[in-house]
Amino acid sequence: MNRRKFLIASGAAIGGTYAGMKLEQKPEKVPDGPSGSSAVSILRARSYSEDLASRIREGIRQCGLDVGGKRVLLKPNLVEFDSATVINTDAAVIVAALEAFHSLGASEVKIGEGPGHRRDTFDLANDAHYRASIPQFESLFTDLNRDDVSPVANFAGEARFYFPNTVLAADLIVSLAKMKTHHWAGATLSMKNFFGIVPGAVYGWPKNKLHYIGIPESVVALNRQFRNTFAIVDGIVGMEGNGPIQGTPKPAGVLVMGRDLVAVDATCCRIMGIDPEKIEYLRLAADLGHVHAARIEQRGETVESVHSNFALIKEYEYLRLA
Amino acid sequence: MEPTAYAMLALHRRAGAGTACDRAWRLLSSWQLSDGSVRPSGAVADGTWVTALFVTLAFVRGVNDANVGRAVERLLQVAGAEHNLAMRTFSYFHLLKTKLNVSHEGWPWRDGNASWIEPTSLTLVALKKAAATHPSSELALRVREGEALVLSRRCSDGGWNCGNPNVFNYDLPSYPESTGQALVGLQGRSESELAVPLGAARRFRTETKSSLAKAWLGIALRCHGENPSGPVEEARVAPDIMLAALESLAHPDGNYRLLKTEERA
Repeated sequence: MNRRKFLIASGAAIGGTYAGMKLEQKPEKVPDGPSGSSAVSILRARSYSEDLASRIREGIRQCGLDVGGKRVLLKPNLVEFDSATVINTDAAVIVAALEAFHSLGASEVKIGEGPGHRRDTFDLANDAHYRASIPQFESLFTDLNRDDVSPVANFAGEARFYFPNTVLAADLIVSLAKMKTHHWAGATLSMKNFFGIVPGAVYGWPKNKLHYIGIPESVVALNRQFRNTFAIVDGIVGMEGNGPIQGTPKPAGVLVMGRDLVAVDATCCRIMGIDPEKIEYLRLAADLGHVHAARIEQRGETVESVHSNFALIKEYEYLRLA
Repeated sequence: MEPTAYAMLALHRRAGAGTACDRAWRLLSSWQLSDGSVRPSGAVADGTWVTALFVTLAFVRGVNDANVGRAVERLLQVAGAEHNLAMRTFSYFHLLKTKLNVSHEGWPWRDGNASWIEPTSLTLVALKKAAATHPSSELALRVREGEALVLSRRCSDGGWNCGNPNVFNYDLPSYPESTGQALVGLQGRSESELAVPLGAARRFRTETKSSLAKAWLGIALRCHGENPSGPVEEARVAPDIMLAALESLAHPDGNYRLLKTEERA
């Protein structure tokens, strides 16, 4: 039993306890991923007032995604609200994604999210300007915390695990993530954004069951469970420092997209000046996608042309890309 | 379960609601499992923290049968998983870089997980109501421990969040709805212990825009004998059953009294 398994077994998986332990680990080479390579699109967008729908269409085209006839679920990152910083996926990115997926022939485009800490989802949506900015928000949005659920067998070693029916019914789940540092995981991007599809009405606020499975293990299990996915990471203004809630805004001026969420997140890490091979959930996800830069086909901008170090709290300074 | 349970509390003894409440009680009772726990919906196979709501509702309705007894027993059997020897040892030797106090037993969302504020507070209400008919030293101890856990997890700004006030020595902010829930669970504690959080609750209630938070804060302050005024008294119908029920409970003429637990276990 390694230290992680012992801590989880001993009940240390309550936030603030388990992750408070020393995090550094011996760097080991991340295994090669699946055969072939993955396309990741990096497109510049300096502000939320630019034509984001055209950029998302361009990213979808560059990554070869066919959305025709599909039921699409947009999963933004709606966590908390603080007017002094930028915690959530910007409403303009959601509006643009709605327009882009509709224009590319999706049969249905819905929005769903289940915040991990706050129970008043619609109040959060109000604060984040989702209700004011997104046309027909109430009819498009499902609070995944309180949706009807169905069981899935053998998720993360659990005989039965429940997911919202809205998620299970989607042909394509689009992770509309925010580019942020994270005080448990190092960085939160498109893969970790799937924590929000676990229903609070079954697992609570926070979804403590995921802590007991292990945060990196849960991130990977969710991405293993849901494979029909696409990522759009809002890095127009990201968050650095003590993310994912108490950090400070960091304009990176990019949207990062792709069908391989591992490759998208590895690319985002490199843009942020974080070594993706030191992010544990990316290491564990190496069989799902590509972490190594040599196996990622960069479309649009290069990483070097948009790279800008995100500030890291001292506990995570070891993640800095050499 | 939650929307139905809070709607039943809001409608309790309201004219014309008896048949609907009886039907709802039969439904919730059908979700009880053989171990005494209660499922959060018909689609979920295992019991969760909503067992506490079931117990509270039972005593509000004057039901005290064997099924309720099993539910009370179940609440007494369940404890947050962080309160074990290994974690207390880590904490004793300062091996955890956290300020989390793991020396008290609270209640988790689900059996086998850690304790958090909402399930602990709801269970405190349930057990305090159960104390009159199921008195035991074990019950009294669990209530004291649960209260101690809630008190130990208060944030530096005076209120509570989900139950984790600090990460990496960075203080985390409290949430207004969690502050309301914690204060409902802490009824009966001394004025000196609650002066700061009650002040935070009053402040939150004027500042928050969240209807859910306003409702929980209203319930909490009224349970503590205060008569808060403000926007929550305005007539409105929330678009969500659970929210509408909680707003109704928080109204000056509402059934917030059903969540009062004046007697000490």
